[in-house]
Amino acid sequence: MLGWGAKILGLDLHQALSISIFSVSILGTLFFWDFRLSFAFLGTSILLITKTIDLDNLIKFSSLEIILFLIGMMVLIGLLKEAGLFAWLVSLILRIRNLSATKFLIAISIISALLACAVDEVTSIIFMVAAILEICDYFEVNPVPFIISSVLTTNIGSAGTVLGNPIGILIATKAGLSFEDFITRAFPLMLVCLGITIFILMIWYRRTLRELDQKIKELGANEILVRLISVPPERQLKICLGIFGVTLFFISLHHRLELFLGLETNTILLIAPLISAGLVMIWKWEKARDYIEKDVEWWTLLFFLLLFAQAGTLKYTGATDVLARKIVGITGSNPHFLTAAILWLSTIGSSILDNVVLVAAFIPIVQGFQALSVNMQPLWWALLFGGCLGGNITLVGSTANIVALGILEKEKKQRVSFFQWFWVGLTVGLITAGIVWVALVTLPIYR
Amino acid sequence: MKVKEMMTKEVTSVSPDTNAQEALDLLLEMQISGLPVTDEKNKLVGMFTEKEALSAILPSYVEKVGRFRYEENPKAVRQKVLALRNMKVKELMRCSVVTVDEDTTLCEVARIMLTQKVRRTPVLNKAKDVVGIVARGDVVKALFAEYK
Repeated sequence: MLGWGAKILGLDLHQALSISIFSVSILGTLFFWDFRLSFAFLGTSILLITKTIDLDNLIKFSSLEIILFLIGMMVLIGLLKEAGLFAWLVSLILRIRNLSATKFLIAISIISALLACAVDEVTSIIFMVAAILEICDYFEVNPVPFIISSVLTTNIGSAGTVLGNPIGILIATKAGLSFEDFITRAFPLMLVCLGITIFILMIWYRRTLRELDQKIKELGANEILVRLISVPPERQLKICLGIFGVTLFFISLHHRLELFLGLETNTILLIAPLISAGLVMIWKWEKARDYIEKDVEWWTLLFFLLLFAQAGTLKYTGATDVLARKIVGITGSNPHFLTAAILWLSTIGSSILDNVVLVAAFIPIVQGFQALSVNMQPLWWALLFGGCLGGNITLVGSTANIVALGILEKEKKQRVSFFQWFWVGLTVGLITAGIVWVALVTLPIYR
Repeated sequence: MKVKEMMTKEVTSVSPDTNAQEALDLLLEMQISGLPVTDEKNKLVGMFTEKEALSAILPSYVEKVGRFRYEENPKAVRQKVLALRNMKVKELMRCSVVTVDEDTTLCEVARIMLTQKVRRTPVLNKAKDVVGIVARGDVVKALFAEYK
């Protein structure tokens, strides 16, 4: 079927093969998620054996710099977890004065979004879900609406910076975008989407909020709750905060430093976490091996490495250039149509597929538009937001969704049904994607 | 020395359908930390230990969120402790169990316990019936007695 499709599109053998292998990998991740690494290993091997790509280019396309960035960040996150930073953040929620249901919903939404801007979405959602379960246990209310809210705002927040989601760093490096570009263009738009989402959730879950208010009145709030979980403030926590803060500082200024030092674009962005992680492993030398062996998600990183290589093969063979020409042939090179196409295709695609897989597939296509003199700027932002916001639409749309619901099922034996999620996810997904669409086509900052 | 020379031969076990609270009471009464779970044909199907009981009571995310401290016992823990009365051993037991056979040497048992991080191992005969159990303390005692 793919061969017939390739013939219709005018692809040659290697182009058809690269698309086939990549498609099988995508389908493999969709239906056999636990075996995704096996698919990646085998698919990559087939590409090499069939001479669809050579070793040098395979390694070049595997984007090792991104993998090293992610490793550095994972080591830092391991350090932060060990220092109790996340428990400290949760204890901040517990200290909200005159706690009310609305304040609680707003607090967990904002913290989820901002946390997802700074650390990976999976780590942030695990902790937010833990905090929500502990607090909802105390108040004897159904945690599901709050968990769904936290996940939705986590996915939105992950679009705000380069750090929040692997697709952020992927797009930044492939598009030549800097942290500053994300802060000036993605972060404000993320905040608008977040605000609208919180408003939607306050209406959607108004009954649950009323119930929680009632329980807060009955059981009393902060005096007891504040004693539930604590992390004693210690010197180590402050040092770890300092290390993370300094890393973020250099990441935020990377573009200016690179210009000053005459370095290649995104060099400092990519190595800042490595430098911090290296220094941390000297400081905590007895735990250095633990950080590398236990906190670095090697399974996921290997999958990304090979996925990027397979996606790069699409570009190497010219398959994505053919696809890009076909798309422009349909939409014309009208930037508004192209932006809409990229945004909505990635939003819908991300609701079913893992967003890293989807974005890795789209990047070479979007790069193909460059040769056709298309303005790339809005397309990259469309891809970023489509990849993140689409993850809200279904309960399998994002890894954060799956992790959160897995914990909920294990702890509370509660299963969120497909439609229980879908209606609120679709509402939030469509409205936020709509806001992004309007912003991308109307605001000059995105052109 | 082979493990069959120093293992505990009178093995108390529970069945998968035993009430979890009753199994836990048995552990506490016998002052041991784990019991093999066997089916009606005396074949090993799992292990039920204090660790499984704690895992059932505490949230699964405690190992994933890094350092924090419970200042009070959460309500959910009380509910889960009470829920044990309505649960069966098969819902909590660990199905993957490290075992040894009767002719395993003492040192090999020690190596397995160290590398697999287990505190007790059921001993099986060639027909895969549970014929004994050996605890880490027994191995230490026997090893040091042998070389004194």
